[in-house]
Amino acid sequence: MEYIVETKNATKNFGKEKAVVGLDLQIPKGEIYGFLGPNGSGKTTTIRMLLGLMKPTFGSVRIFGKDIKKEKIEILKRVGSLVENPSYYPHLTAYENLETSRKILGVPKKRIHEVLAIVRLSDAANKKVKGFSLGMKQRLGIAAALLHQPDLLILDEPTNGLDPSGIIEIRELIKRLPKETGMTILLSSHLLAEIDQMATTVGILRKGELIFQDSIETMRMYAKQTISLNVSSSEKAWRSLLAKGIKAEFEKGTILLSERSNEKVAQAVSSLVQDGFSVYRVQEEKKSLEDIFLQMTKEEQAV
Amino acid sequence: MMGRLMQAEFIKIKRKGFWFLAFLGALGVVAMQMVNYGVRKDYLFTQSEDRWGYYLMNIHSFTPLAIVLGIVILTSFLSSVENETNAWKQIIALPVSKRMVYLAKFTVLAIVLFISSFLMGIFTLLYGLYLGLGEAIPSADLMQYSFYPYFASLAVLAFQLWVATVSQNQAIPITIGVVGVIFAYSASVLPDWMIWKWPSLMNEWNDPMINVWWGLGAGALLYLAGMLDFTRRDVK
Ligand SMILES: Nc1ncnc2c1ncn2[C@@H]1O[C@H](COP(=O)(O)OP(=O)(O)O)[C@@H](O)[C@H]1O
Ligand SMILES: [Mg+2]
Repeated sequence: MEYIVETKNATKNFGKEKAVVGLDLQIPKGEIYGFLGPNGSGKTTTIRMLLGLMKPTFGSVRIFGKDIKKEKIEILKRVGSLVENPSYYPHLTAYENLETSRKILGVPKKRIHEVLAIVRLSDAANKKVKGFSLGMKQRLGIAAALLHQPDLLILDEPTNGLDPSGIIEIRELIKRLPKETGMTILLSSHLLAEIDQMATTVGILRKGELIFQDSIETMRMYAKQTISLNVSSSEKAWRSLLAKGIKAEFEKGTILLSERSNEKVAQAVSSLVQDGFSVYRVQEEKKSLEDIFLQMTKEEQAV
Repeated sequence: MMGRLMQAEFIKIKRKGFWFLAFLGALGVVAMQMVNYGVRKDYLFTQSEDRWGYYLMNIHSFTPLAIVLGIVILTSFLSSVENETNAWKQIIALPVSKRMVYLAKFTVLAIVLFISSFLMGIFTLLYGLYLGLGEAIPSADLMQYSFYPYFASLAVLAFQLWVATVSQNQAIPITIGVVGVIFAYSASVLPDWMIWKWPSLMNEWNDPMINVWWGLGAGALLYLAGMLDFTRRDVK
């Protein structure tokens, strides 16, 4: 398989602190790779290593099959990026900000207007960035990353700190990109829901280690929602369900149904009612990132 | 590539008062003498047979201070432009080598300071002519007092740029800069090896050209050291 990004044992230590440990990242061409992990798990550090901003303490980074140590400039000609908070020159207009990058990239001037249109900032082109909202600054950062029509786009938490409408706007923008241009996207986030809505492949980072890397479908198996039932005499009720062959788990006084189809839930509820238990609540429970981590590490240990 | 990088740098310093400062510094040095000669021209004229020479010496008494102060302010301007929103990461992630980025910064500063020195030369000449210091204009001395301090101060520029680009805390380059300005002002009591003394053109052999060579030589070394250090470091 052809990988656009491939790291082997990439490790970064800051003094004694291990920020990223033995990372083997593999990003196939044309995917939206969701890079998921809580704050401080090493996402930004990894991205800095991919861009050659930081040198790995050990290990290698290859992008487009080239070693970043040897062919950094060749690689970066085909990579657009937005790392952490957007960087900009507040005293310059949006147009002038893009012009500083355009000069270095050597692309035609009309690209500035094109990328401003893509991120819907054409109207603000001649306004100073100082007065922009965070969402506008973020979009300007994405515009700068798109100037040279990169084959790989790296966006580090692009929706961080935005209001809901800003988040939706960026999300729509990102989803549109690979369809239109066939580019590969690496998108980091600490929010499960965000990755779930955009990514096609997922890598999960925890305390600097990659604990999962697979398709979004496989991740959804872990992230799958459960139905919880709050009932009277819950443990007895759970046993009565098991006796009737309905799959359920018992945890902290609630019954968890593993099958979530309408019929199965209805069947479980009516069986409980028939057996004289009172059903207080039927709830759908979404798993948090922490729950999924727990589950993944639990299963890892079991194997 | 170098040309395009420098164009980008010149866009960044727009509206930052950069050019105005270069102009003001040049004018300031001559303005000190406008006040001096304005107040006591007749007295000053009696101080020396060589009125031009005496005038140029007076001008030169403020040049080192102005140049070192200018270097401190301009370098901290130019690095604060990147530090403000941590734009280093954005430039360094572009397909350009870190050496080139560093060279572009240095070159822009060197150009602006050169233009400032040139302007100071012009202002010096114009005010000298206005004062009527005599028919024979000492053009060699005028050139020396305008440009030798510039070349002699390149070591300070290279050093200051190094400190400003690699410091996380911008109080460090500013503090070092202020101390440097004080040094430049007390040049006569400093030992010859201190880089802040050189713009004064003083040395134990009384040969200003020596300071020019030192400025260029040590400037090249400090530039190289700064560039290598900048290249080696991780970008936050
Ligand atoms: N420049 C640095 N110096 C020292 N420690 C750092 C530096 N950058 C990041 N770290 C540490 O590395 C860990 C990972 O940080 P980071 O990569 O920013 O995580 P994320 O982007 O996932 O929130 C954190 O514990 C952070 O404190
Ligand atoms: Mg981060």
